[in-house]
Amino acid sequence: MNVARDLLKHLCEALLRGALTVLTMAVVWELVVRVGGVPSYYLPSLVDVLAAVTVAPGAYVDSALRTIAETVLGFAGGAVFGVLIGVAFFQWKALRDYLFPMFVISQTIPVIAFGAVVVLWFGNTLWAKAVIAFYMTFFPVTVNTLQGLNAVDPRQVALLRSFGANAWQLLTRLRLPAALPQIFVALKLGATLSLLGAIAGEWFGDSVGVGVLLLHAMYNEQIPALWAAIFLAGAIGTLLYAVMSYIETRFVFWRDEL
Amino acid sequence: MKIHQWLGHTFTLERRRAAFGLIAVALIWEGLVRFLDVPAYVMPTMSAVLETMLAQRQVLASNAWTTVIEALAGFFMGSAIGVMVAVFVVSIPLVRRFVLPALMTINSVPVVAYAPLVLLWFGTGIESKIALVTLAVGFTVMLHAISGLDQVDPKAVALLRSFGADKAAILWRLKLPTAAPLIATGMRVATVRSVIIAIVTEMLGSASGLGWTIYQGVLQIDFVQVWSGIFAASAVSLIFFSLIAALERHIIFWKS
Repeated sequence: MNVARDLLKHLCEALLRGALTVLTMAVVWELVVRVGGVPSYYLPSLVDVLAAVTVAPGAYVDSALRTIAETVLGFAGGAVFGVLIGVAFFQWKALRDYLFPMFVISQTIPVIAFGAVVVLWFGNTLWAKAVIAFYMTFFPVTVNTLQGLNAVDPRQVALLRSFGANAWQLLTRLRLPAALPQIFVALKLGATLSLLGAIAGEWFGDSVGVGVLLLHAMYNEQIPALWAAIFLAGAIGTLLYAVMSYIETRFVFWRDEL
Repeated sequence: MKIHQWLGHTFTLERRRAAFGLIAVALIWEGLVRFLDVPAYVMPTMSAVLETMLAQRQVLASNAWTTVIEALAGFFMGSAIGVMVAVFVVSIPLVRRFVLPALMTINSVPVVAYAPLVLLWFGTGIESKIALVTLAVGFTVMLHAISGLDQVDPKAVALLRSFGADKAAILWRLKLPTAAPLIATGMRVATVRSVIIAIVTEMLGSASGLGWTIYQGVLQIDFVQVWSGIFAASAVSLIFFSLIAALERHIIFWKS
């Protein structure tokens, strides 16, 4: 039970520290705007930003839910695909030699150009954005899975093999668990990147989503609404990252012992 | 060196397979599009894209040049600022306590979400693109530099200090060289990112650049142009990445 209490204490402390940071920044912001006389075109008062949200809270909630759905769908697909391809590349080196360069090149395609093509293929749907989020996630996961699998201590492999473990057992009992910390590094990065992909994907004329809020605020030059959308994007990003970190502490529970 | 040795050295198995993979994908693309008679607006043939690129090479090159300038300016400014901020964060505990959390909060927003704001602030010229690339590269390099500077062995610092080295000397002779491999990794990661961010910002508002080329193609439903923009962007990214990677091998020669 000690572990659970420590974890709870740790989480509470992190939350408190985060809240303090945000609060301090808000105070500094408000002081700069009010005392420093920064034009509201650059930094609007936080009161105005909040007002922009309270005028139409429904739009922000709907947009957040839609963007989260796109991000999570694409992220989950990208994570599973990334791990599978990583394992496949590890098992068959020839496959890796043939295909890995293509993967690298695919990542130099600017996400928004890829988005244009994907939206054309899938229409302006939730699935199109999920595909873009998928595209952003799978590559880092593949790379880190491969690195993690390769970094396994050969002596441990030899030991398990001497006990008669077959290739499948080696993979599931030793290699994948050993690679998990590396894989989670990529998953946390992927959570951020897939949100970025979903937002950029919404710029092709969708009607709901955080990207849509951003674009509308820009075209109408509503700076408070623009900041509200930026805060929303930051909140979603932080939420997804926190969820991944939490899952990591549950799955890679031995990490602190390393 | 004999010619067949040289050939064996240059065309290793990995490289031959990579080339084979690339050619195979190009052929499959071309063959499938032709065989299934896919309309050009869904997927143009690769040969059509290459033909268009050749025909419009001057327009394409001048737009690519705009993007390269934006990406390079932002890349170098961002790298310099990132390393400087990292040095401040690591050397002054107060900055680490209070400024680093604020920076991390700013960084928790996906960088593209700042694009509309930056466009309103800096206009649709190259300044807005440089600003956003600087932001994205700055954070990437800063985070790598901080973890690199944190790896410095305190005993090594104590040793240098016992020889009478001042803070500047310790930073210059010990801390920065120790952090250099990780800073270089951050910069290498940031190359592709800087081109992509420049293009994303161009698509939202600009009158030139590869992002603009691609967006015009989307508006006119001219997907041959979209793909030629994509190819050009990939080529720019790959060249930029290889240059920085080569520089990295040259400067950080001690990395195993």
